[in-house]
This record gives sequence, structure tokens and C-alpha cells, in this order.
Amino acid sequence: MVVTARPITPVKSKSGVEITLQQVVKKFGEKTVLKEISLTIERGEFLVIVGKSGSGKSTLLRLTAGLDQPSSGTIQFDGLSPKEAKTNVRMMYQDSRLLPWKKVIQNVGIGLAGDWETKAAHTLEQVGLSDFKDQWPSNLSGGQQQRVALARALVNNPDLLLFDEPLSALDALTRLDMQNLIEQLWLEKGFTAMLVTHDVQEAVKLGDRIILIEDGVVALDIRNDAKRPRGFDDEQLTKLEKQILARIMQNHE
Amino acid sequence: MKEKKWSFIPWLIPIAFVGAWQLVTQFQIVSTQLVPAPLTVLKSFYQLVISGDLLYHLEGSLGRAFIGLLIGGGVGFILGITNGLSKFSFLFTDTSLQMVRNVPNLALVPLVIIWFGIDEGAKIFLVAIGVMFPIYINTLHGIRNIDPGYIEMGRMYGLKGFKLFKEILLPGALPSIFVGLRYSLGVMWMTLIVAETIATTRGVGYLATTAQQFMQSDIIIITIILYALFGKLADLLARFGEKKALRWHKAY
Repeated sequence: MVVTARPITPVKSKSGVEITLQQVVKKFGEKTVLKEISLTIERGEFLVIVGKSGSGKSTLLRLTAGLDQPSSGTIQFDGLSPKEAKTNVRMMYQDSRLLPWKKVIQNVGIGLAGDWETKAAHTLEQVGLSDFKDQWPSNLSGGQQQRVALARALVNNPDLLLFDEPLSALDALTRLDMQNLIEQLWLEKGFTAMLVTHDVQEAVKLGDRIILIEDGVVALDIRNDAKRPRGFDDEQLTKLEKQILARIMQNHE
Repeated sequence: MKEKKWSFIPWLIPIAFVGAWQLVTQFQIVSTQLVPAPLTVLKSFYQLVISGDLLYHLEGSLGRAFIGLLIGGGVGFILGITNGLSKFSFLFTDTSLQMVRNVPNLALVPLVIIWFGIDEGAKIFLVAIGVMFPIYINTLHGIRNIDPGYIEMGRMYGLKGFKLFKEILLPGALPSIFVGLRYSLGVMWMTLIVAETIATTRGVGYLATTAQQFMQSDIIIITIILYALFGKLADLLARFGEKKALRWHKAY
């Protein structure tokens, strides 16, 4: 299933949120997973976090989501604490986490009040799954399930969307498709995005900025200004991909 | 086609059984006082139906079963939910509940008679105690086994309190709760049979005990068949509910 590209009208910085992390430390018992991370993510920026397993990249995402609390340091949304800011944060996980006892459309509308069905149907259309709205999630393929999860994350127009390796369980072709879809919807809606991945090609395809987390610190912080929407054979991207891979492998030897 | 041809196979044994039963009684191989002929049983059944006795006693039994199930099941369900959600409540009550659970509920009969007399209360209490534990354990198990990922997702997507319960916890625990319900239906009938033989003036068990005093083996056989039928019927109802409620589940 190919996503047809629709005209894209960037509405950057209308929504979205600025995130500031100041000397964020996270310890699990004796082990320090994140060591004094300081980072500012601009409103509407697409930040990609790469790193090897166990590097603490997912922990950084969970702290930003408020699912865990930092051991020390602060995280602020538009200069306010997450509690005061009331930022609309949504998250996509590696597994779709669709509720098997709810039909697709009910899954998309979860937690919505009022006229949820219209909103949910509209968002399902945006991810190209209108025909599946009355199906049980178990009847969908893995890629379709992640699309529904994407619709669920987008339906409430989040200011911040966090992606925790949402595409890593998909086959290569579906993954490329989903990357296009995510890029397109991000360009349309202008939310701030944070994506954790270990796929460097995916990182350069989607990120405005790519950071590498290694041993709990930011080991690399690169801007990526390639034009959007981005193809997969862009020379600039391929070069950047090689550069990042080389840096990751450098410490490996 | 082939299946249709063989569809009579499961009924061979029951038919042969009834046939042999009729022969044994017809040729007086055993006393008809002990083993009445199938036809006699049918006739007595007809008598019970038209005299209205059957309905009267069935009503009594079904009423007790239903009220006992409602009370015991309700308490078991609430305890299961509370202990599944609250660690304190679990620590506070589970050990005691497990101790009580291990007492066969029929061992309480003498005590229950002293407490409640031979009233309706005694029977309903015994049924309620019997059905409570299967429902409690399975509800608890159901709540505990919900993928924590769903709960985390629900919280992130703005579900709190009762909404979280209604959208995620209850539906997630439902398959397990139904297992508990079906099991407790079996316990319900068993308890009822014994409870109704204690001392009553109404109910299927009463029918059986009085029949025993008057050597009416045909009536006793009828009551046994009734229990079997209603046991099966209750299970079918529960299965029907299960199928309706769990359409999303692959196993249904």
C-alpha cells in the first residue's frame, strides 16, 4: 500500500512545543543511565535520537513523556514544568498497543470527549485506513496496526509526539511507507517530534537534527537541513548516514 | 455428507442404555421398586408437570441458585477487582480469603444451620460462599494479567479512574472472569443439591429426599436428570454470554 503524496502546506510553529532539558540525570539503582543531558528542542523540530541498545535513548524519551522522573535536573515545556504546561503529549510504541477489544475506530477515539467519531474517522482517513474502521485490530497487518496507532496519536493534535522505535518491527517496505507518512503528517501538523531509532537511514530521512547518545551522554549533535519531503536516494542524506554510522562504529572497535 | 452419515454414533450408547433399562425392568430382572421402567419415569414426570409440583420446586431451587450466585459472585468480583488494583487491599485480605477458600463450603453446613436455622438464608449463604471464590480468583488473575503496556498507553492518552477501568481493566480481565463464572456455576449446583437435602419444604432437593422416604425411585431419577439439564443449561447461557462479550478474542 503506497501513500499518495498530497499537497503539503507547512504550518510550522503554529502548534508544537519547545522542550528544554537541563542537566538531566537518570539512575536506576547504582547504574547511571543518563549523565547530565542538556538539550533544547525547538518548537516544531523533528529530533531523532540514535544509539545502541542500552545507551539510554529510550530512557530519555520516557523522561520527556513523564513516564519516569529524572533523578536530578529539570525538563521544561515552553519554559514551564510539565505539570503547569499541560502540554498535549502522545506516544507511539514499538508494539501498537491497540486495545484488542475495541474496533479500529474506537481505538483511534480513545480518551476523546464529545464528537470523537468524526475526529477519529477523519484521522483514519489521513493514514489511509478508512475502510478498516469497523475491523478488530487483530485482523490488521503489523503495518496497518501501526498506522492506526499513528492515527490514535494524532487525533488530538498533540504538541509533542514521541516515537519509541515504532517502525522497528515492520518489514522494510512497510517501514519506508510509514516513514513517508510520518514525514508528511508532521509537515502538515507541525508538532514537535522526538523519534528513537537504531536505524540510521531512518534517522537521516526524518530528522531535522540527529543526536547520538553514547554511555549516557550526547556524543554527537548534527543538523540535517535536506529539503523535504525527502527521498531515499538523496546524496546529501546518504553522506550524512555514512558519517553518523562511522561515528557510531568508531567506538565499537 | 460423510459427517451426516455418522451423526447418530454419539447417541448409540444412550439409546442402548435406555433400551437395556426397559428390558431389565420388563422382565423383572431387578425389582421395579428399585429401578422403575423408563416409561414409569416419564409418566411420573408428566404427573409432576401437570400437578404444578415441578414448577413450584424448580422455582424454589432456581431462586436460591440465582440469589446465591448474585450475592457470592458480586462479592467475589468486587474483592477480585479491589485486590487486583490495590496492593494494600491484597496484602490485607488475600491470605484470609485463601484460608477460608480451602475450607470445603459444605463443611460449614452444621454451623450454618445453627446460625441461620433451616431457612432460605442458610441455603443462599452456602451457595454464595461456594461461588464467591472461583469468581474472586479468576477476576484477580484477570486484572493482574493485563499487559501493563495497555495501562501505560491509557494513562498517556488521558484515561483515568473509572474510565481507565471501563475501557481497559474490565474488558482485559473479562475472559478470565468468564472462566470463573462457568466454574462457579458448577459449584452452585453442587452446593444447592446438598443444601436442599438438609431440611426444606421446597426445591428439587426436597423432592428427592421425600421421594427417598417413600421409595419413589422414579422421582429420584427425575430430580437427577433435572440437575443435569439445568447444569448444562446454565453452562450454555454462560457460554453464550461469553461469545457475545468476547467477539474480539481470537479463541471465540
